[in-house]
Amino acid sequence: MKHEAPNIDWAGLSPVIALLGGAIVVLLAGLLRSRLVRERAVPFLAIVAFGASLGLGIWQWGEDAQVFIAKGSQATLAFDELTLMVTFIVAVAGIATVLLSWRALAPREAAHGEFYALLLTSAAGMVAMAGAQNLVTLFLGLELLSVPLYVLCATEMRRERSLESGLKYLIIGSTGSAVFLYGLALIYGATGGTDLREIATGAAGEAGGDVLLLTGIGLTIVGLGFKASVAPFHQWTPDGYEGAPTPVTAFMAVATKAAAFGAMLRLLDVGLIDAQPDWAPLLAILATITIVVGNVGALGQSSLKRLLAWSSVAQAGYLLAGVVVASSLGVSATVFYLAVYTMMNLAAFAVIVARERETPWGDDIASVAGIGVSRPALAWPLTISMLSLAGLPATAGFIGKFYLIDAAVDGGYTWLGIVIVIGSMISLAYYLRVVAAMWMRAEVAAVSATAQPRLAGADPEAERPQWELYLVAIAAGAATIFFGVIPSPLFDLATAAGRSLGLL
Amino acid sequence: MLRTYLPAIVFVGLGTLVGAIFTMMNSWFGPKRKRTPTTFKQDPYECGLPSEVQQGFRFGISFYLIAMLFILFDIEVVFLYPVAVQLRAFGTFALIETIVFIALLVVAFVYVWRRGALEWR
Amino acid sequence: MNINWYLAVSALVFCIGAAGVLVRRNPLVILLCLELMLNAANLALIAFSRMHGNGDGQVFAVIVMVVAACEVCIGLGIVVAMYRRRLPIDVDEMRELHG
Repeated sequence: MKHEAPNIDWAGLSPVIALLGGAIVVLLAGLLRSRLVRERAVPFLAIVAFGASLGLGIWQWGEDAQVFIAKGSQATLAFDELTLMVTFIVAVAGIATVLLSWRALAPREAAHGEFYALLLTSAAGMVAMAGAQNLVTLFLGLELLSVPLYVLCATEMRRERSLESGLKYLIIGSTGSAVFLYGLALIYGATGGTDLREIATGAAGEAGGDVLLLTGIGLTIVGLGFKASVAPFHQWTPDGYEGAPTPVTAFMAVATKAAAFGAMLRLLDVGLIDAQPDWAPLLAILATITIVVGNVGALGQSSLKRLLAWSSVAQAGYLLAGVVVASSLGVSATVFYLAVYTMMNLAAFAVIVARERETPWGDDIASVAGIGVSRPALAWPLTISMLSLAGLPATAGFIGKFYLIDAAVDGGYTWLGIVIVIGSMISLAYYLRVVAAMWMRAEVAAVSATAQPRLAGADPEAERPQWELYLVAIAAGAATIFFGVIPSPLFDLATAAGRSLGLL
Repeated sequence: MLRTYLPAIVFVGLGTLVGAIFTMMNSWFGPKRKRTPTTFKQDPYECGLPSEVQQGFRFGISFYLIAMLFILFDIEVVFLYPVAVQLRAFGTFALIETIVFIALLVVAFVYVWRRGALEWR
Repeated sequence: MNINWYLAVSALVFCIGAAGVLVRRNPLVILLCLELMLNAANLALIAFSRMHGNGDGQVFAVIVMVVAACEVCIGLGIVVAMYRRRLPIDVDEMRELHG
């Protein structure tokens, strides 16, 4: 039997090649003896790799590249507008994460090469997952995303919490992957194909309504729910976010969510579109539970990272609304909100990292008390981010939520739109608490310089304010305002992504 | 209309049931703090046979490190096996792919080697 | 060949694995149980592959095997790191993070 070699579109694949090639270069550069190379050149190379991926993605925009076409089947990886939007989000988040962790403890403890190589590999996994048109590619992408993140969570090896969060994330994440895989196996069993198009044909035909298929869909949604921290599979989120090094948390929060939702949109809206009456009510109920659980859970938190973790659960609920309706509008709304969510969260995490290094309170809400007076350059981005997460007008978060509610109402889920509004109202309580702490409370004076002993390995350089943190915070904050006032550029990109799945 | 939802409702019901059963099982069978575990429970292998290994005996950390690296490099052979069986059918393309794959493994090997993970301490 | 028996075994193994993850305290045993869950999926994949008469499921299973090995290695690595720091190797004892 003679097989034909699959057709590989190298230009289309180039954003992923940039990330993975960058990972190899960074890994090997980290082996060099010179301290200058390890601490300066390695992060710089990582930024170059993310930037190259971003640039190549822009170059490929509109090409709708189909990579890896074996004879007689669909491409396993599609670089359409949806994938490219996820690539942009992941690359921007990656650049921000490299900047945030440049002078952080985590890369120094884990060796610089490893840290940034893992970051790049995880990003490549995210892109692959969002573009996967085949169940095998989907699973590989998911694992390529998760496995480096488990390690990244545990990189601050001398801190108990970091190791603990790594192990917890590993156990819960792997459980999620296993459930997801079992779901994929059942879908394959019911439809007889691993290709999304074959699955769509199978689900439209005799396999439709089959118990095997329905169980498979259910398990798959559960598995993706673990990754996107959808309630009731969110329990790892606060622990994982709090324990992981903060720059890693920022990356986990925004990029993982983008990849998980990208994959969810493609799997459900392309492969299982004919089973939509079966999964849509289930997802709508999950969305409601997620919004309620996330917002209520965030109310009592005093740690900023835990607060953002619970808030990210709630945001996952809002995002689900765009998936439920299975329309082109829903896809665009989800993609738009993912992009906006990235900016808001990066601004918040940059401020948290900055205050973690300046004060002894870590990520407690006390660390930002009174910074409205002492550090307005940090207070403004955090304020904008909080108001935008709550969905106040003139911020990008408002437009994003409006768009999601519009999609929900358009798809016949008006009640879900109302749930989003109610959730946002509850969320104001805890977001405003942070804003109030910044502007209305006095700065909590450090009891003494030795109130909390610095972790071994931290050098005095870390005490001074660092320009790269300000850069990330201000840029992300400014973008949040910019797209809140002039949303049309992002809107156009999201609409193109919405059209790429071929929905109505 | 409602009939199409029936499997989904049954599925949700079953899911809730199984979830509830597991949660209950967790509290029934899960470890209870008060009850001290029997000596058999604390054995490395719960097979009832006394463990041969003397207390205080420990493997060095290098042992685990090498063992993990062995698993990783060993399992990669799984990918070579199907290619080896079907190499003629796939032709040059598969050969190039395999070479690229092995080159990537060499990068990993160089990294592990230079980091000193292969040295026995 | 009746597919149902293979599916029943696979579902059983999956449930044993899932129950193990919930009930056991030792991270090493939990990792073993995770392997059970993944291998249950492998069994299902191979059974379906035979049923449909295409090789997709087998390719999938081979890839899953490698991925499972990677996951377990990461898990073991973290456990060894905790052991070196003399942290409690018991998931119930991990109370640094709570809430």
